[in-house]
Formats: sequence, structure tokens, C-alpha cells
Amino acid sequence: MRPKFKIPPQVLRILLLAIGIVTSYSIARYFLTPTTFRQYGWYRGEALSELQAREPMFAGKKACEECHSDEMAKLLKHEHKSLSCEGCHGPGQAHSDNPDVKIDQLNYGPCVRCHEANPSRPKWLKQIVIKNHYTGSKCTECHVPHAPTEVP
Amino acid sequence: MSGEITNYVFEAMPHFEGYVYPNEATPQPLWSILIVLYPYITGLVAGAFIMASLVRVFNVRALEPVYRLSMLTAFAFLLCAPLPLLFHLGHPERCLEVMMTPHLTSPMAIFGFVYAWYLMAVLLLELWFDYRRDFVEWSNRTSGLKTVLYRLFTVGVTDVSEPSVKLDHKLGHILSIVGIPSAFLLHGYVGFIFGSVKANPWWGNVLMPIIFIMSAMVSGIALCVFNYMVLNWVRRKTIDMKCLDVMCMFLFYALVMDAAIEGLDWIHRVYSAEEGFQVMQYMAREKLFYTLNVGQATLGTVVPLLLLGLLQLLRKRVPELARRRMYFSSAVLVICGVLAMRWNVVIGGQLFSKSLRGVMSYKMEFAGLEGWFMGAVLLALPFILLIVMIKLFLSEQLPTSASLEARDVAAK
Repeated sequence: MRPKFKIPPQVLRILLLAIGIVTSYSIARYFLTPTTFRQYGWYRGEALSELQAREPMFAGKKACEECHSDEMAKLLKHEHKSLSCEGCHGPGQAHSDNPDVKIDQLNYGPCVRCHEANPSRPKWLKQIVIKNHYTGSKCTECHVPHAPTEVP
Repeated sequence: MSGEITNYVFEAMPHFEGYVYPNEATPQPLWSILIVLYPYITGLVAGAFIMASLVRVFNVRALEPVYRLSMLTAFAFLLCAPLPLLFHLGHPERCLEVMMTPHLTSPMAIFGFVYAWYLMAVLLLELWFDYRRDFVEWSNRTSGLKTVLYRLFTVGVTDVSEPSVKLDHKLGHILSIVGIPSAFLLHGYVGFIFGSVKANPWWGNVLMPIIFIMSAMVSGIALCVFNYMVLNWVRRKTIDMKCLDVMCMFLFYALVMDAAIEGLDWIHRVYSAEEGFQVMQYMAREKLFYTLNVGQATLGTVVPLLLLGLLQLLRKRVPELARRRMYFSSAVLVICGVLAMRWNVVIGGQLFSKSLRGVMSYKMEFAGLEGWFMGAVLLALPFILLIVMIKLFLSEQLPTSASLEARDVAAK
């Protein structure tokens, strides 16, 4: 009679371990895959409704105009007329709901975002090299952002 | 005061020369030091493993004294390989999500599986089969916490009869054979990730995976030479010169191949001189002068090639001490040279504009997630792990090839 084939103990142990790892991976996958995953595509379907449910941060230009119509009228006569208020001042929904919540007074950052010299910007856009232009700390010391052509 | 503020803001603003798209003018590249370390550490793993396979698969008996050391080196570095990626992503707790919902078209998701395969199915298993008999023996010989640890490592298999140990060797051999293509896959994959970025002329190159594999082998073997020499120095043991000579012979051949393929890559770039060539020339001359020409090419490749090549010809005439010093300095130079190479690939590829007509600047910070300090910590971590592993698994005197031969003779 041939001796009965027995799986060597170390191989058996490794096989059991491998089965254990694969099983725990499958179980983890079963529980950890979000339920709405693949509802629309390779992402969590719920993510869309969650995003929709968030409070808006931006109020929009119309909301600004309700109180600041004078500034808006000034702005509309100059180059910056097409810019959105909140593009420079930051999100304003909180300020629009409650005027006591302060909105940023601007002096520097948003200006150089567009006007710092870069050869890839169009020629008609006024550009400066900050160091050669002015060494003070605020652009608004000389310029009025709402009426950029009025002052040098 | 206000002038100082402007200067401060000016310094913080991104610096660039020539024509750079606005979205490229960022203070630092998207991928910085952590992404330099990731292919570097992965490469050291693959190289150290291939070094170990020389013993198992190609039967290079002279290298047997470093077999376990190189396997442990590969293991310690592999455990640290995904850390730079995890830290770079910023949300390390999300790392398993890529394994839970893997996308088959995402190279990084598949890398998770390649990594898991290499760690669990190749390296750990081969180490276990190699150490199994010792674990059983050590768990009987030691006391206290160590016994518990070693007994845990035996996973409950205590059979150390001769046929059983023979089977371990056989399985280890098979795993080693499977391991070579796996090591190539692990590191070739890193090269593939860069090489498949076709919009970037610095990266998008079919030679990239091969260059990465060759440089990985070079750096891994050099790391084993370094570790072997340092370990023997710390333990005040004499170095087995036969083993060291053979290791450095393989280091030399790997370096020749690596230099040839990287040279071929550059000759091809220079001769075809495609549209991105001018900016690459500028990068090599100005932006990457020290890391590319000095670090990677001269100190990392030419000098070790000359040193090692000289020793291949004049091995018998150079006294042992001088030979050891030459080997050691070549290994250190190669290790640093390959780090410079990874820097050149990762950072170099992001220092020029997509317009191919302008370049950006990058100055590494000291502190912060992507700073010097973090990089140094991440590079030191695998060495600390390796020290712990050596304390646990290599605490006895390293067997020399002479003692192994004596053992073989005794066995016959």
C-alpha cells in the first residue's frame, strides 16, 4: 500500500495563513466599501448629495450690490468691472447674512496674483516687478482697486 | 519695516526664468523630497533582494556570508518604502481605501498590490523558510520575551527533521526564482510610472523602467557592501575578503550596465534633439549641474567605475586595507550617486515649464513635511529597523565562507 500523502506542516500553515489573509481582506472589503460606491461611477454616489447639502460660502455679486451699490457703480466704470467681488475679497455669504462679520480689507495679495510680471500673461494686462515697482507694504497706498485708472 | 515686509513677500513668491505658465509658478514642485525618497528606497529593496538571489538562484557560494544580511536589508527597507508616499499624501489614514476599491487603470492602486505581493508572498515567505529551523532552535535556547517572539515566528510549526528542512530550502529556492521577476516588477513599476508621463520629455521615455531597474541593482548591491563592512567594523570582525571581492565584482558589472544604459539614454536624447532638448540642456548646465554632472555622473558613476574597474584588473597587487577602503568609498559614492539620480529624475522633471521655454526654482526647506529633516528621518528609519532586525536575527557571528566550506566538508 502506498503511504498516504500528507501536506507538510509548514506548507499547510502557510496555506491556512494565506486563506486567512484573503478571507479577512474580502470581509474587510465587504464592510468597508461604501454602500453607494459605483452608483454612478468609480466613486461614492452619496458624495454628490453631501456636497449639495453644504451651505454656500459665496454670496454672489448681486448680494454685494444690495448694500454697496455706490462702490459697484464706481467699479463698473473701470477695468476691473468684469471681476467678481469675492474673487478678491474672499467668500462673503457670512458677511451678507450678518454685516457685523467683517470681510477682508485688501492691500496686497490679490493684486500681485494678476499683476506680478510673467511673460506668459497677455501684453494688455499691466504687469510690475514688485521689487522695482515699490518697496512699501500696501498697493492700496497709491492705487484704488475699484478705480484702477484714476490714480497712477 | 514695510519694505522688509515686501521683501519677505517677494522671497516667498515663486521664482522663475523665461516663459512659465501661471499655474506652474508655484513656490515648490508638487512632488518634492518625499517622492525622491520613494523610488530610492524601493530601488534599494529590489537591489538588495537581487544581491541575495545571487546566492540562492545563481549559486554564488562566495556571497553566502551576506545572504541573510541582504535579505534583512531588503525587508527593512521594504517596510519603509510606502512611508514617503503615505506622508506625502497628507491623509495616511486613507491609505487602505485604495486597496478596498482598487481601480485597475490607476498605476498607484496597482502598486499597492505589487507591493503587497512582494512583501507577503516573496520576501516574508523566503525569509521565513530560511529562518524556520533557526526560529525553532532559538525559541528553545533563549529565555524571556525573546522565546515568546521566536516561538511566535515559528507560527506553530516545530518540525525540523531533515526532510522538512530540505523542503524549506527547496521552497526558498522556488520563491527566490519567483522573486527576481517580482523585484524587477516592483522597481520597473516605479520607472514605468515616470516613463509613462508622455507630456514630460524628461520622464516620458521607454528606457525609464530599465534605467530604474539597473540603478536599483547598483544601489542595492552598494548598500549591501556598505552594511556588510559597517557591521563587521562595529563587531570588530575581520571582513571576508573573498566575499567582498565577489560582491564588488557584481557591483562593478551592474554599474557598467547601468552607466551604459543611462549613457545610451543621453546619447539618444542628444542625437535626436527633440523639441524639449534645449531646456534639458539648460537644466543639465545650470539647474541640475551639481546633482547631475557632479553627483550622478562623476562621483556616482565615473569615479566608482574607475576604482572598481582598477581593482578588477589589479586585485592581487593592491593590499587588503587599500582594497577595503576603495570598496567602501565606491559603495558610499554609488549610494549617494543613485540618490542624486532620483533627485534629478523627480525634481528635474518638474523644474522646467510645459512650454519648454522657462524654468522654475526649488529650494528645499529644513522643517515641514517636505523638508530636509523629514527626508533624513525617513532615510534613517530603515537603518534603525535593520539594527533591530540584526539584533534579533543576526546576533551570532556572521558565518564566513571559510566556515561554510568547513561545514560542507564536515557534512560530506
